[in-house]
Amino acid sequence: MTPALPLAALGLIDAAFSGFRAYAGRDARIRKHRAVLRASLRGLAVGSALLLVPILTACAVLLTATDQSRAYDRLVDGGTAYLLCIAAYALAVALSLAAYFVLPFRASTLAMVIGLGPLTLLRPLVLAAGCTVALAAGGWPSLLVSATAGAAALATEQIVHRRWYSRPL
Amino acid sequence: MPQFEISDLITVTDPRSLRRAPVRRDDVLRTLAEAGNRRAARIVGTLPVDGDGVLDPAAVDRLLIGVHTELQRLSEEMRIGERVLHLLGPLLEAIRETAEPGARLRLVDIGCGLGYLVRRLAATRALGPGVELIGVDLDAALAGEAARLAQAEGLDCRFVHANAFDLPEAATVYVSTGVLHHFRGPALAEFLQAQAASSAVAFCHFDIAATPITPLGAWVFHRARMRHPLGRHDGVASARRAHSDETLLHAADIPGIRPLVYEPRGLANPFCTTLRPLLGIRPHLEEPFRRAMGRASRRLVGPERFAA
Ligand SMILES: C[S@@+](CC[C@H](N)C(=O)[O-])C[C@H]1O[C@@H](n2cnc3c(N)ncnc32)[C@H](O)[C@@H]1O
Repeated sequence: MTPALPLAALGLIDAAFSGFRAYAGRDARIRKHRAVLRASLRGLAVGSALLLVPILTACAVLLTATDQSRAYDRLVDGGTAYLLCIAAYALAVALSLAAYFVLPFRASTLAMVIGLGPLTLLRPLVLAAGCTVALAAGGWPSLLVSATAGAAALATEQIVHRRWYSRPL
Repeated sequence: MPQFEISDLITVTDPRSLRRAPVRRDDVLRTLAEAGNRRAARIVGTLPVDGDGVLDPAAVDRLLIGVHTELQRLSEEMRIGERVLHLLGPLLEAIRETAEPGARLRLVDIGCGLGYLVRRLAATRALGPGVELIGVDLDAALAGEAARLAQAEGLDCRFVHANAFDLPEAATVYVSTGVLHHFRGPALAEFLQAQAASSAVAFCHFDIAATPITPLGAWVFHRARMRHPLGRHDGVASARRAHSDETLLHAADIPGIRPLVYEPRGLANPFCTTLRPLLGIRPHLEEPFRRAMGRASRRLVGPERFAA
């Protein structure tokens, strides 16, 4: 099975969260549901465009390969390893988020302090780890695709922040 | 070595006249150099100055408003509103029980910054009707921005530019969040004594819980959530400056006041309690307050817990 679809889905979810993070801390109003939604959609839009880069990179790798079937298999191996790495991270984030929203304030602080806060800091490291396992499982072409995917994921927050939220609202 | 927060050094307001004093960047740099804080000096070194080396007040205000906006995100994520309400709800219940029927209550948030707590209480009407909400801050730009934000959302609260040691607004209850550690040495007791000498029946000041993991937690959080290096620096510095439970209870040991700490060290999981309050209540309120708190009142302790 190709890991492309789950990877794209995780990439899009991550882009929406990146939009939120780009906005968070820039709006001191109390009621801001609409602003949060707008920021997430901006992240989604920018992230969707940037995700085209790894997709096109993968296509280029396949089109230029002498043995396309083997190149495809190696990309699938690398992509699957990359997916497992970021899916584990996504699961930890999802559990922390669920705990944060569902539990009372004391336990939700715990979910923030040992979950969501450190996980934000770990995000670039997880992407780097994903690239490493992609290299190990699928060779250099997989590293190339996963590195462009990681760079796209990291760039989304920066771009949305610079474009829309460089100053407090 | 003294620990400084950059924001305390780059804006100076005369506590009496409330006028802002010009701040020379070199003076701040010298203070930081003497404290051996090169990182803070590097941050201050990037701030713009005029021809006389005085920090540009408009740029400083913009910076502090930006940093406080990010700080509000931390308050939101740590659910400070709910944390405060968890105590203020029962406290107001006890006050209403002992006050004249229909008496109007006034809550004053001292050192309110952008007034997140007051604006949130106003937006959610969580304290019920008949509670006037006021925020005060020594920093005119922050108090002004708090007022602008409240007006933009049509919130029923107001903000005043004033000094915590010379408060123009009489209150039923004084509260604060993240302010106590700014008052060092005798200033901490003076701050509380001024409220004890007023007609207020209680104060409830939340500040960073001093535990061994606090500075590390503050580093992680400010690194993950704050963008400007000043916010990151001051977040960790304030965690290092947090007062211990004993220091707080000692400072609040004032005649006519029953000092209490909620969730002190040893009675709370440090990962769950990032900010905890020092309370000072008129003695007749203790019984109804504990009753209104229910089982949670077990975590409310006085100086006797720390007596040798
Ligand atoms: C760390 S900030 C906390 C702001 C806000 N309460 C919050 O939780 O985000 C401390 C605030 O205390 C204010 N402050 C410091 N000394 C003060 C004084 N003597 N009187 C009034 N406000 C003071 C500062 O201007 C600053 O806004």
